[in-house]
Amino acid sequence: MGQVTLRGIRKSYATVDVIKGIDLAVQEGEFMVFVGPSGCGKSTLLRMIAGLETITAGDLLIDGIRANDQRPADRGAAMVFQSYALYPHMTVAENMGFALKMAGVARKQRDEQVGRAAEVLRLGELLGRYPKELSGGQRQRVAIGRAIVRKPKVFLFDEPLSNLDAALRVNMRIELSRLHKELGTTMIYVTHDQVEAMTLGDRIAVFNQGHVEQLGAPLELYNRPANVFVAGFIGAPRINLIERPPVSGAAIAHQALWTALTSQTSTDAARIGLRPEHLHLAPTGEGIAATIALAEHLGDVSILHLRVDGVSDLLHAKVGANLPRCEAGQSVRLLPDANWALPYDANGRLIE
Amino acid sequence: MMIPTARRISPTWAPYLFISPFLILFAVFGVFPLAFSLYLAFQTWEPTSGLAAMQYVGVDNFAFALRDEWFWKSLKNTAWLAVASGLPQHLVAIPLAYFIHSSFTRLRNGVVGAYFMPYITSTVAIAILFSSLFSTDYGLINIGLQAMCQVPVLGWFMPQDPTDWLGQPENIKPAIAIIVFWRYVGFNVVLYLAALQTIPKDIYEAATMDGASRMQQFWHITLPSLKPMIFFGVTLSVIGGLQLFEEPFILTGGRGGSDQAGMTTAIYLYRMAFDFNDFGAASAMSWLLFIVVAILTWLTNRAFRPRGPSA
Ligand SMILES: Nc1ncnc2c1ncn2[C@@H]1O[C@H](COP(=O)(O)OP(=O)(O)O)[C@@H](O)[C@H]1O
Ligand SMILES: [Mg+2]
Repeated sequence: MGQVTLRGIRKSYATVDVIKGIDLAVQEGEFMVFVGPSGCGKSTLLRMIAGLETITAGDLLIDGIRANDQRPADRGAAMVFQSYALYPHMTVAENMGFALKMAGVARKQRDEQVGRAAEVLRLGELLGRYPKELSGGQRQRVAIGRAIVRKPKVFLFDEPLSNLDAALRVNMRIELSRLHKELGTTMIYVTHDQVEAMTLGDRIAVFNQGHVEQLGAPLELYNRPANVFVAGFIGAPRINLIERPPVSGAAIAHQALWTALTSQTSTDAARIGLRPEHLHLAPTGEGIAATIALAEHLGDVSILHLRVDGVSDLLHAKVGANLPRCEAGQSVRLLPDANWALPYDANGRLIE
Repeated sequence: MMIPTARRISPTWAPYLFISPFLILFAVFGVFPLAFSLYLAFQTWEPTSGLAAMQYVGVDNFAFALRDEWFWKSLKNTAWLAVASGLPQHLVAIPLAYFIHSSFTRLRNGVVGAYFMPYITSTVAIAILFSSLFSTDYGLINIGLQAMCQVPVLGWFMPQDPTDWLGQPENIKPAIAIIVFWRYVGFNVVLYLAALQTIPKDIYEAATMDGASRMQQFWHITLPSLKPMIFFGVTLSVIGGLQLFEEPFILTGGRGGSDQAGMTTAIYLYRMAFDFNDFGAASAMSWLLFIVVAILTWLTNRAFRPRGPSA
């Protein structure tokens, strides 16, 4: 129960292609995250699975049955909206029981099921309240409760936490993880926030302009991004991408950095990716010369934005806090960890 | 620039000076007539004999009004007309607004404009138009009914002879009700369209996911969301309907029609004052009418008060 398979799914509005062929299989009980920049078509795809948008081409299978033409309510999917979309004139209990009421479930049984869902989400005391008497976090829990009551095969979340403040977002993330473990139901979760994606997902699909750039487990995406888009999208501060120095007339520091980075990998790379935490500071006399353009001291770590002679972009390094000589304008020496270097070809694809 | 001290208005008085145009107009045309009519309600007065002819009579005018058959008849007429023209306005306007809201995109403004047109048309023009439509021998309505007589089955239910719409007592009220309905339905459509636009689209999507059909969505989402606007619209209809004057006044030549069948309370108290020269009784009746309006507005409020906490 709760397998969702997408085969060659496309979506076009008049002349614009929004979804350009998605093939994806969400396993039973899996927590799948769709992540990508704003406007890349995540919501559209989720709404196609829900049945709120028609599917232009391709097949949508839920538990092996083609669902393209099924009514939204018959697909066994429940959706949680970013805006919560609670019915303002109904109490929490009525909101949660509405789907059951529409399905013709008797009053008594409805109350029972709503009560059970309220227990799972600790909404007990709120059942008699109206949505406008609730805080943002409580509304979100009610929206989730409304989805749970239907006992769906798959939950669909569209950026459910983006209207909450930062602290609450962390709590809700934990709560969602707990819920997923407790219910064991398939969940498809759309977000533009990579932290949510990394912390919640069993697997993550990274979207870009209507197609999937990479599908994999969070650490797989982080450590082996299949292309420069994924490499740049996942991870903060952004990954360093260092261009191959020109054959002649390269700056000494640039050449030295390149040589250091390619010591462990293939040398036909056009660019090398290196995460900020793998760019270390070296004792004087060793390493590659760089100047600190900006230093951000976060307390536990410091983020250094560095200028290396010949390299067009600033490099980012994540170093320990309270290191000496770490202020803007100062010169430092860099030691890249070549074991973590990621070689990309001219098309931006990872060279395996 | 310095303003000479002598011309400066003290800050305490300046605000009152600035709102004084409204206050003066409101006092002259609002408060004074109101207070004067309340005063008159306890006097007997024939205006032609001058102000000095006023005489205090206590509650005699009210007692007279409550014993006056025509006053009760006018109230019944008014109630009949308010219900027969007001109720269909909303019963038609709500589904119509929902239909326009969900089915028209580009044509929308034109359609709404067409429905709104009668509301901003002069009552006199409307009365003339309908006088001709309702005319016994040449009116389009009778011609249409006659034509339908020729249709088998349907013909059985149609009147065989031309109907005297504005002359026969039993026909006057329906004729007026049709005009009033026709005139104000567009206004209500505009009200309900405005309310419909404020309902977020995603709660309909949530309802779709919850398995509600279009009808169920109308019933469980749209109607409850429209409740505050229904309250507002019905209140306007109650207040407007109980003070109905222009349409029946013009259609019945200012006299209320044969057997006073089209005589609303507003027409009657107008006649009481200007035809029968009894301003005291007319004022008393107008205050009685006010009490009726107030009670009905309060009842409307009770009926349509939004559920849950007050906003
Ligand atoms: N009804 C529509 N007509 C035309 N284009 C649309 C429509 N809905 C969405 N789009 C376009 O589809 C793209 C993807 O939208 P969406 O799925 O909402 O992105 P996101 O990944 O931010 O959720 C956007 O570029 C948007 O402009
Ligand atoms: Mg979106």
